[in-house]
Order: sequence, then C-alpha cells, then structure tokens
Amino acid sequence: MSGAKRIHRVSLVVAQAADLGGNIREIVLRDEGDWDLPPFTAGAHIDVHIPVIGVRQYSLAGDPSRSDEWRIAVLREVDGRGGSRAMHALEPGQEVLCSLPRNHFPFPTDRPVTMVAGGIGITPFLSAIPGMRQQGQPFELHYCARTPDHAPLAARLPEANLHVSSAGHRLDMRVLIDRLDRKAHLFVCGPARMIDEALHLGDGLGDRLHVERFGTDTGSDPAYTVRLARQNREIPVAAGETMLQALRNADVDIPASCEGGICLECKTRWLAGTPVHRELAMPKSDRDQWITPCVSSCAGDCIVLDL
Amino acid sequence: MTSHNPAVSTNENRPMNEGLPDWKGYIVGLHVVPRSFLPMRDVSTLNLIAGVGVEGDRHVTGEAFHSDRPEEGRQITFFEEETLEALKRDHDVTLLPREHRRNVTTRGVPLNHLVGRRFRLGDCLCEATRLSTPCRHIEQITGKEIFELLLNRAGLNARIIEGGEIRIGDRIRPA
Repeated sequence: MSGAKRIHRVSLVVAQAADLGGNIREIVLRDEGDWDLPPFTAGAHIDVHIPVIGVRQYSLAGDPSRSDEWRIAVLREVDGRGGSRAMHALEPGQEVLCSLPRNHFPFPTDRPVTMVAGGIGITPFLSAIPGMRQQGQPFELHYCARTPDHAPLAARLPEANLHVSSAGHRLDMRVLIDRLDRKAHLFVCGPARMIDEALHLGDGLGDRLHVERFGTDTGSDPAYTVRLARQNREIPVAAGETMLQALRNADVDIPASCEGGICLECKTRWLAGTPVHRELAMPKSDRDQWITPCVSSCAGDCIVLDL
Repeated sequence: MTSHNPAVSTNENRPMNEGLPDWKGYIVGLHVVPRSFLPMRDVSTLNLIAGVGVEGDRHVTGEAFHSDRPEEGRQITFFEEETLEALKRDHDVTLLPREHRRNVTTRGVPLNHLVGRRFRLGDCLCEATRLSTPCRHIEQITGKEIFELLLNRAGLNARIIEGGEIRIGDRIRPA
C-alpha cells in the first residue's frame, strides 16, 4: 500500500512533533527549503501517505493564514490499523508525503457559527477559529471529552465551553439545537455516535447543519475494484479516489500527464466491466477498448484492465 | 498529444517565421518553484541553462510532477498575459501570473503559433517544441475551476538553445 512517488505528492518534512497529552501528538510539517506551502481554507484536510500502511486523512489544525506550515494533531488509537501509531513515531526531519488540501467542511464567514467537537474532532475548528477571531465573526465552541486530560487542546481555546463527561457535564445536543440562533450554522465533528445524534436531532436545520466524521472522505464515485488481467491482481479503489491514484498507490506505473482527461497519456485497454468514461478528448469509438484512469471510473463492482 | 512536435520546418526552403505576423513582445513575469505542487514564486530574473532548463526550477531539480518521464522539449515554459486577461474578461476568473505554473509570462507573443520555431528572449535563444496542455492539478493548487478554460491556451514548452540571464522587461522576438 501507498507506494507513493515523492514527485506525485506534496513532499514535506516534520519540523516539530510533540506529545500534547491525551494520546495526542501534534506534528508540524514544512517544506525542506522553507518554501511556501499550497494554501488551504478552514476545515480542509490532507491525505497522508504512510509507508506500508496506506493513506490516512487528517484535518489541518493550524491557522490558514500561515503559508509556511501545515499542522495536524493525531490521536493514537491503540486498537486502530496502525496509521496513528506510525504517525506518533514520526520525528523531526522525517519526510512525509501528503496530498493537496481538500475541503469538504468549509465554514461560512458571514453568519454566526456554533461548533461542537468530540475529542480529536476539535482539529478542523482549530483552523477556523483564528479567522473568526480576527474578523469578529460570532462563534460558539463546545469541546466534549471524557476527562480534562483528553482535551489538551482546550488550553489554546479560551472561548471553549468544555463538556467533560466523567464530571457529569455531558453536552445536551437537543438543548443546543433548540436554542441555536436562527441564522447560525451548526458544525459537528466527532465520533459516529455524536454525528448520528446531531443528524437525528438537527434534521430540521437543513443546510445549516454540517458534520464531519473521522477518517471518511467520500467522493462522487463509490468504491470498486480494478482487476489487472495480466498480473492477476486486484486493486481496491476507495470512494472518492481516482482509478489512477489507486493504481499508483499499488505501485502500478501508469504514465499520466494532465490528469484531467485531455492528454490521454494514461489511456489503458479495458477488457470487462462497465466503464464510466469522462475524458474530453478521446474519439468515442476508442471508448470500446480504452479507458482513461485519471478521470474515468466504473459503474459496477469491478473493471478488468489489460495490465 | 502523447507525441512531441519536432522542431523542424515542413519545408526546409521556407523561412522559419514565414506566415507569422510581425510580432515583438516582452517578458512581464518570471516564476520558479523547486518542487511539485508548491506555489510558484515571482522573481525578477531567471538563469537559463542551455540544453537543461531554468536554474532552480522543479524540471531541473528532478522534482517536477513529470520528472519520472523527463521531456527534452520542456526545459522552459511560457504563458500569455493576454490569456489571463481573457479569463477575467470572459469568465470573471482572476488568475495571477504565478498561478499558471509556467516560467515566463509574456506580452505580445503569439505562443500558439511558435511550435517548431526559434525566438529570442533577451540574449537567450529558445526553440518551441509543443503546446503545453493544462493539468488538473492547477485546479487543486489554485482552488479555481480553470482546467477547461485553459484548453488550447495553456502555454508553450520550449528547449533552451542559448542560455543566460533573462529579466522582466526583456524583449521577446523571432530569431
């Protein structure tokens, strides 16, 4: 998994790594030559390519106005699949390959915002609050944790209403939603139970309710499998991932240039399945034999390529 | 578009610039970046290395997105300022010169007409090899939906025949 090439990722180095307590490690990433990094907006996340283990997603938890660093905070999950353990082992100077930032959790700037964080779900709000403070945008922050030790980032958030369940101060989501300002948007990031509760109780909020679950990044395409006929291999393509990204992550070398369906450099012969063609430049008759993995997809569970 | 246009005239007896309108342009912006995906930086001068590329740029350092498939004809890249103006005028898209991710922003140079031809910028000599194609990454990097707007006007790739230093304001003219 994740045989990502350096040149096909944003290649950064760990500038700082520090344990904050509560099994949370904060990692600051910079360019090796202190070049500016690609910009991001509040609520954005990155994919981190962890050797051998695979891809993990982390919210950018720093101030978007800082162009010299990306900051993430990683909760060590003892029973996880190994990604957080690998991230906790990172030390300054080590290289980390990342994606460009993507934002599925953007914040409005022209209306009040109420934010609810469960545990490490505080991270996207850390990127939003600096701008809200600076612009004087009204906001309310609720930070839920089992114990004060599980909320080490509260020290940076004097505005936070801390809800510690071990002390009996559990957040009442129903009350929060009932008294929500008519113009305010509610943002919730936390464990599945918290998200489900927000979706259930906040059903009437319509597009004023925004949720982000941990570790999910659903794109427009559902997951499917690419079978390589000559190599007798099967490669899973995750929801939202392109076929080309999945092939690259599996160390299948596909030449590609524009990655937008124009240059056709990645075109590959397909043998079976139901391709969804999205390239812009290939003669329609060629679609019977060829597919462009950079933008095209599969309408079923599996597509077979002549590789 | 997978093959690269050879820089030769179709008729050896025909002057290289025959049929081209008389043009003279100049450099309005210079841009460089050492690694893929990072924002390009505006600079006032660039050092061109004959047969190699732009000093410090990702295509020379081997840190470009396409460096696993090096291309001899992509030593320096160009983009028209007029295209930036057209994006604003026709689509209300503001694209800064450093955001087009080419090395040189030009004014008054018909880039799409120059494939296979030689031209001077300052004291340097370049030979255009092929039109640049837009790259989907530009949308991810800039956050602007411009990929399709750049079709057929995404700039020009060239090789460097005679190197040296180029500066903003240097003339660009047919060789």
